[in-house]
Amino acid sequence: MSVPSDPKTFNEIVASETSSSAVTNMLFEGLTTVDPFTLKVIPCLAQSWEVSADGLQWTFHLRKDARFFDGQPLTSADVVFTFNDLIYNPGIPSSAKDIFSVDGKIFKVEALDEHTVRFTLPVKFAPFLRAMGQAILPKHKLSPAVKDGKFAFTWGVNTPPREITGTGPFFLEEYRPGERLVFKRNPFYWKTDARGLLLPYLDRVVFLIIPDPDAALLKFIDGELDYIALRGTDYPLLKPQETRKNFTIYNAGADFGSNFLTFNQNPRSNPKTGKPFVDPVKLAWFSNLNFRRAVAHAIDKPRIIEIVSNGFGYPQTGPMSPSSGFFYNPKVKVYDYDLAAARKLLAQEGFIDRNGDGVIEDKQGHPVEFNLATNAGGGSREEMAGMVRADLERLGMKVNAQTLEFNTLVAKLMSSYDWDAIVLGLTGGVEPHFGQNVWLSSGQLHLWDPKQEKPGTDWEQRLDEIFTRGVQELDEDKRKVLYDEFQAIAAEQLPVIYTVLGADLYAVRRKFGNLKPSAYGGAWHNIEEIYILKDQ
Amino acid sequence: MHITLEAFGRHKAALACFWVLVALYAAAAFAPVLAPYHFADEERGYSYCPPTPVEFLDNGRLAAPFVYGRQLTFDENHRRVYLIDKTKKYPLRFLGGGRLFTVEEPGRLYILGADSRGRDLFSRLLYGARISLSIGLLGVLISFGLGLLIGGIAGYYGGVADAFLMRTCEMFMLVPGFYLMLALRSAVPDNFNSVQVYLMVVVILSLIGWASLARVIRGMALSLRERDYVSAAKLLGLPDMVIIVRHILPHTIAYSLVAIMLTIPGYILGEAGLSLLGLGIQDPVPSWGNLLSESMGIVHIPFAPWILLPGLFIFVTVVCFNVVGDALRDALDPMMKEI
Amino acid sequence: MIAHLLRRLLISLLLLAAMSFLTFWLMHATPGNFFDSLKLNPQISAQTIADYEKLYHLKDPLVVQYGHWLLNVCRGEFGYSFYYNVPAGHIIASRLWNTFILSLTSLLLTWGLAIPLGIWAALRHGRMADGVLSFLSFAAFSAPPFFLAMLLLYAVSQWGILPLGGMHSAGYDRMPFVDKLIDVARHLVIPAVVLSLASIASLQRLMRGNMLAQLRQQYILAARAKGLPETEVIYRHALRNAFNPMVTLLGYEFASLLSGAALVEIVCSWPGLGMLMLTAVRSKDVYVVMASMLMGGVLLLLGNLLADFLLVWVDPRIRYGAKK
Repeated sequence: MSVPSDPKTFNEIVASETSSSAVTNMLFEGLTTVDPFTLKVIPCLAQSWEVSADGLQWTFHLRKDARFFDGQPLTSADVVFTFNDLIYNPGIPSSAKDIFSVDGKIFKVEALDEHTVRFTLPVKFAPFLRAMGQAILPKHKLSPAVKDGKFAFTWGVNTPPREITGTGPFFLEEYRPGERLVFKRNPFYWKTDARGLLLPYLDRVVFLIIPDPDAALLKFIDGELDYIALRGTDYPLLKPQETRKNFTIYNAGADFGSNFLTFNQNPRSNPKTGKPFVDPVKLAWFSNLNFRRAVAHAIDKPRIIEIVSNGFGYPQTGPMSPSSGFFYNPKVKVYDYDLAAARKLLAQEGFIDRNGDGVIEDKQGHPVEFNLATNAGGGSREEMAGMVRADLERLGMKVNAQTLEFNTLVAKLMSSYDWDAIVLGLTGGVEPHFGQNVWLSSGQLHLWDPKQEKPGTDWEQRLDEIFTRGVQELDEDKRKVLYDEFQAIAAEQLPVIYTVLGADLYAVRRKFGNLKPSAYGGAWHNIEEIYILKDQ
Repeated sequence: MHITLEAFGRHKAALACFWVLVALYAAAAFAPVLAPYHFADEERGYSYCPPTPVEFLDNGRLAAPFVYGRQLTFDENHRRVYLIDKTKKYPLRFLGGGRLFTVEEPGRLYILGADSRGRDLFSRLLYGARISLSIGLLGVLISFGLGLLIGGIAGYYGGVADAFLMRTCEMFMLVPGFYLMLALRSAVPDNFNSVQVYLMVVVILSLIGWASLARVIRGMALSLRERDYVSAAKLLGLPDMVIIVRHILPHTIAYSLVAIMLTIPGYILGEAGLSLLGLGIQDPVPSWGNLLSESMGIVHIPFAPWILLPGLFIFVTVVCFNVVGDALRDALDPMMKEI
Repeated sequence: MIAHLLRRLLISLLLLAAMSFLTFWLMHATPGNFFDSLKLNPQISAQTIADYEKLYHLKDPLVVQYGHWLLNVCRGEFGYSFYYNVPAGHIIASRLWNTFILSLTSLLLTWGLAIPLGIWAALRHGRMADGVLSFLSFAAFSAPPFFLAMLLLYAVSQWGILPLGGMHSAGYDRMPFVDKLIDVARHLVIPAVVLSLASIASLQRLMRGNMLAQLRQQYILAARAKGLPETEVIYRHALRNAFNPMVTLLGYEFASLLSGAALVEIVCSWPGLGMLMLTAVRSKDVYVVMASMLMGGVLLLLGNLLADFLLVWVDPRIRYGAKK
């Protein structure tokens, strides 16, 4: 298989990007995991659990047969260690800490006996079970590093691969930087198949590190790779070779996450210079709901899908992807591609071309001109931004497109706030609460107006309420009502204007048995069950 | 100088290349007239449309030139196929709207095919030529201006000034050019519009190149300052700067001219490299560099090979500059021997 | 001579320091630091990011940070890579060998082919062979390398004779030694060819030019008049004089051994320094950039020294301190 970049670290706690998690997912496991088809939480390292009536105490019963790569058994001490000494350790920067705290309060984690762990939560926390997919790390290997205060630098990419110890189906046999990672089956893995045979079946799995998607494509064609994630534009090249090169292409539906255009609605001023972050003239436009709605109607989603993803895409209408399953709300306000409607809305708000120069002006006569930024090197995102730009020009707006380095873009979004409009994408999943940093008015990812002291509008206040209640509501149906409302509000108020989602396409060589591709887990969620067919 | 032109004229290949360059620059200058479409003119229903031949026979009879209509379909492999619709004929129009030739709407004329958003590649190549060819000239002027001046000063004065200036040169040469370029590009404020970005790119590229020229000029100035006419000028009381600019530098022209010809390609390729990383001239303004980076995709080779033409144009231009520069050098050889 | 060398050394060190400060300043002149990319992850809080920044001293004033770095360099520590979470020196070292092999092969290819070709062209000056070779040379150093790499990869993929990118095949570590050599060699073909094409062309023309210049000289006429065999005239006399000035070029080539060509490396998936540097500059992994740049600078200065030394050694007419 191929991964687009080297893992940045093997330290699961400190890791922060997907390139590292592709690797750590092979090596580590959590108490729970997610069934990729039903999207429900199922047991993993914990074989069962109970929750107290008030929803605050969770008791997990661990499997007795789970062992680390070095043969040491997994015990509750490891779970307690992972939380109390690693995640909650103030000296260790970890993103997991934010997931496992509510309102800044952490959970109490204690071992009741060798195979039982109890979590006591300060308030009810609905995503708790899902979050318990958190990898459990071995105390016996890592506690010396924690005591020395060197944990953050442990298990980096220069560690001898066999040192990295987890409970997952594969361990790391070899790592050649810039080239590949080789995983070998864990002989101590706890899962067995229906006949009692020890899993995994596969002996070795190799990840090749290939930054250039075209290079990966070529390697798949010539047989070096058995799996590749496709772009829609690669499809016509690969499809005709399906039989000859012995592979199958799967379309797993819409990607997770989101792609959108957002305008800067930040009304505050820079405390150091006293100047407002956004030019007040532009702020008036961006804060105008009909302005944003007109923009939404002007985005040519069908053609974007056709051109950027070669037809393998889906228009996005709200913050959650259709693939997220239970919490997805399809019944929200939709903005079809309709230039006439867009122009009407603009004219209604006084945006007309009064002097015939092709550019519309607002009621005060200021021509509508602003900057649109996106990040360089995104390939399809740059193309999407280019098309959005052209769409907005058809409305008579003058749009200056800029591609910036990713870090520069983020610095603008999160520190200097000096931007007008940005085309961006965010990752996302099944659990709506994990997007809280975006939707809470105090959130730092509340892109259009971050870190508010109190909600600036009624609907932002309502969103705050929804997120605060939703996380504590344990009844799934009641949660759904809340989060449905959240998605409806997002579509109604358009703080971000959604564009399109690509399709999750991949090609797998036909040499594997037990392959059960899913939208959520991809082709390899059950990698321990997969085997190579005879004569391959 | 007349020795030069004669010697140069004997070199047939160089002459041919010279005229090719002249033609390219002329085409660039007249782009808005020669190009049938504006560079941002999209027609998304014609994404990746193959070149549309101009027809002269209508059902076997001679007719005024026209183009057939086309319909986009996707085949079973999701590949674009354009079906020619012979019932729809769109005649060519000449000298309409300030352009040499266009086609009646809603037909589209794609001499060299269309890009991903249905924009005419031929038009974009012409408009792109303006950017790419001028970047070379402007950039070279700036860096040579800098190099000549600094090299001249260093060589003429010698001593401390020389040592200091040369060390500065070496320092600039130490920093890997490509990375310097990246870092400088990130420093450009992002509310610049495309023209300003263009100028910044030019400045950035020229800041990379001035150092090596300065060193050579300095060497030449060092030996030139011992000449009699320089001593005479000094005796006459002419200010140093005048001596440098009016007496020493002109003798470096020969070398400079050759070096200019041979350096311009570097700027064109440098801009292409920046565009490959998304940091060059921004969409929708075309430059050969960003057209080239749009073409970098394996799937284009079998499905839309016309997209790769910018690479060919860059290649031809660079070859021509190199051939002309080389021939110039040969022709100026006897003159250089003087120095 | 020694005094002069020492002086050169001192100046070089100063230059390195100046350049490193310039680079350091450049990297910080643009807003933001490495951890900005983390800020876009909805699951990471501001506090965590502040913790990261504190961990790596990113909020200290620039001069202080530079000072820290300089001190560490003197101790042999080159700072830390944020991107890989390992010491910067380590991550560079792991790619060093790969780039070195590629550059060395490129170098050998270039000099091995260019010199003979240049001589051959000079000897056939004015004939069609010379013209054809000239044309091919111009073509070779005019094509954008990364574009050429892509076309080449595609062409090879159709014929299937060479591996497409990367440096080792999947089962590399289990191959016998000879097979390993062959494996790397096969992977080297495309990137080395693309990289050397331009240099072969220009070097060849230089060789040809020098040879032609020598062959026109008086002493060649004299040698022929003396009745020396033609091969001796060409190879013992003209060639030696033509080749000498080019020896200094070797010094500069030495420096470029470890610079890597980022774009070609990316297109061919060659795990080298070029790609590393590019990612480091773009993601603001400051210490990796500083370390690579330092290394590049040292090599360049060494190369210059070597080139100057070679020039003196080879051409007895030049001696330092003999200027007016």
